[in-house]
Amino acid sequence: MPQKRQAPSVCREGGKAAGRKVLTERVRQLNLEIIPGKMKIKPRKTLYSLTGRLLLAIGALMIIVSTIFWYILIRYQEEELLENFVKYGMSFVDNVRKSTRYGMLTFQELLIQQTVEAVGSTEGVIQIRIFNCTGKVAHSSRKKDVGTVLGSNSVVCSTCHNAGRSRAVVPKWSIGKSMEGFRVLNIVQPIYNESSCYTSSCHVHPKNKKILGLVEANLSLALLDKAITQQSIGITLYIFVFLSVISIVLCSILWKLVSTPVSLLAEGMRRVSAGDLDHKVEVNTRDEMGELAQSFNTMTADLSRAKAELIEWGHTLEKKVEEKTKAIKNAQEQLIHSEKLASLGRMSAGVAHEINNPLTGVVTFGHLLLKKFPEGSEERQDIEVIIEQADRCSNIIKGLLGFSRATSAEKGEESINSLLKHSLDIMSHKADFFDIKIITHLDDSLPPVKAGGMQLQQVFINMILNAADAMEGKGTLMISTRKIDENGHAFAEVEFTDSGCGISEEDMTKIFEPFFTTKPVGKGTGLGLAVSYGIIKDHGGNIIVKSEEGKGTSFFIRLPLPDQEHG
Amino acid sequence: MDKCRILVIDDEDIVRMSCQRILIPEGYDVIATKSASEGFRMLDEDCFDVVLTDLKMPDIDGIEVLRKVKEEWPEVEVIMITGYQTITTAVQAIKLGAFDYIEKPFTPDSILSAVKKAVEQRKENKKGESRNPSSS
Repeated sequence: MPQKRQAPSVCREGGKAAGRKVLTERVRQLNLEIIPGKMKIKPRKTLYSLTGRLLLAIGALMIIVSTIFWYILIRYQEEELLENFVKYGMSFVDNVRKSTRYGMLTFQELLIQQTVEAVGSTEGVIQIRIFNCTGKVAHSSRKKDVGTVLGSNSVVCSTCHNAGRSRAVVPKWSIGKSMEGFRVLNIVQPIYNESSCYTSSCHVHPKNKKILGLVEANLSLALLDKAITQQSIGITLYIFVFLSVISIVLCSILWKLVSTPVSLLAEGMRRVSAGDLDHKVEVNTRDEMGELAQSFNTMTADLSRAKAELIEWGHTLEKKVEEKTKAIKNAQEQLIHSEKLASLGRMSAGVAHEINNPLTGVVTFGHLLLKKFPEGSEERQDIEVIIEQADRCSNIIKGLLGFSRATSAEKGEESINSLLKHSLDIMSHKADFFDIKIITHLDDSLPPVKAGGMQLQQVFINMILNAADAMEGKGTLMISTRKIDENGHAFAEVEFTDSGCGISEEDMTKIFEPFFTTKPVGKGTGLGLAVSYGIIKDHGGNIIVKSEEGKGTSFFIRLPLPDQEHG
Repeated sequence: MDKCRILVIDDEDIVRMSCQRILIPEGYDVIATKSASEGFRMLDEDCFDVVLTDLKMPDIDGIEVLRKVKEEWPEVEVIMITGYQTITTAVQAIKLGAFDYIEKPFTPDSILSAVKKAVEQRKENKKGESRNPSSS
């Protein structure tokens, strides 16, 4: 049945009692009916529905029209039959008159009586009577009636006599009722005075007399009435069958063309208003209903799209807010870090300048003193320690000076690949690198970056030195460059991956802090990564660290590439 | 052979003392002063082969000293002593005619080798001048 529709998918997937309960509730709200077991939905049919009212109106109209038609048909049929019967009756009476004519002319009363009796015994003939002009029954099919005189007010006579002087002397008929209850046709025919009558030898009738008597016949209408009844039943039956067929055809047409699409549309509207925007009304006809369903589906799709856009917009907004918050947080952190570096730079520049001078004295006089003692003497060894420690101070100061330099250099077009190669040339000759395998994968198509060359080199050297320290002089260092796209911006990425000891999660947050070092005392100043970070941030780039303890560390340095449209 | 004359301009006593202690035993005649203006006066009065000057001083900047020396006494070689060794200042100094630059804290060897080279350069220039006095 077309009005039964599949329940929404949540039920078809089935099984979840909660979902079923929710749907049942929803269906109740929607005034829908559930057929248990199959979970199908069917719109309720009432007399108040469109189909019901249409059927009621059309049905009533058809019944009224059929009744009028039936009535007219039966009346016509009855009149037709009666008219035919009257014609037959007339000719019957005419026959009686004609067959008794000879007897009348020859005045053979017995012959007339016998003829009347014989004809009167025909089936359906109740009585035949012949009256003379005085109202006396001259002959009758019932012998006992002969001789009775009827007054002018009797039924037979009054028909003509009460109609006034200008009475029409024509055959007349009327319908009465017999004692037995059936209808009786009463026909009266005048016997006219003809030339043969008044010229006959008996001279009974004068010439000026117009009517000599009457022939009256009472015919039973029982058979006719039976036929009429039978025909009426036939007509009624015919009309009933016709009505039924028309009704069935009309009902099914209405059902298919109106009721089903309307209930589908109504159900669709209920579902959409309840929030199910994915629902489609499946009316695929080419008529107005189909158009309506099409428009409805389009509207629902538009609604759905608009809703999706709104949701999407909301999500995007949320995401954008999140991104902006993150960016602001990053910028703040960077600002704090830069500020920290800048103040440290200013301070360290001052300190370095002040410390360098006394240190120069220590180093110089240490060296001078050294020459005064022979090789291997205890004093010489002590002085060597002094010089060594002074050198260490000098290194710390060099590191500190890195901060004051981190933001000072002029920037030009620099090739990352050649800076890397140069750094590697410098470093690979050092003894620390004898047992380290260095693998390079440099992307030759990498465009130049706008940067301070010496600063970048300082960063690269620092990265290489850190890697060597992490591997304790043994392992593999992989250096690669590539171009990447992030959030629609192009970056040059340099990756330093070592097979060293890795960085613990605890240390990960602190590695870019100034003076943080995991190297033994005297080996690292804890400034290298902090300075590198400052330099890369100053270039608008970023340093990302990925590390697994015991397996190695990867540093990714990202530097922004100029926009290709302009660069 | 005449003793080579070297002028050290540095506001720090210890630096001046260090230079003297390193260079005098090596046979150089070292005069030291703590201000640049004093240095210019000495250059006016006397003849020097090499000037060692600090880059950052309270009265006159090292670069200014270099510029003035190269303007007025172009035959004198200048070695910069710097506590702020940066590529830009070093390049600037070399471009302006400095012979070399030394990073603080320096070792006796680094000062000696720089001064030796500067003196040799000065001698070469002198030879050229004596052979062809008109071109200066």
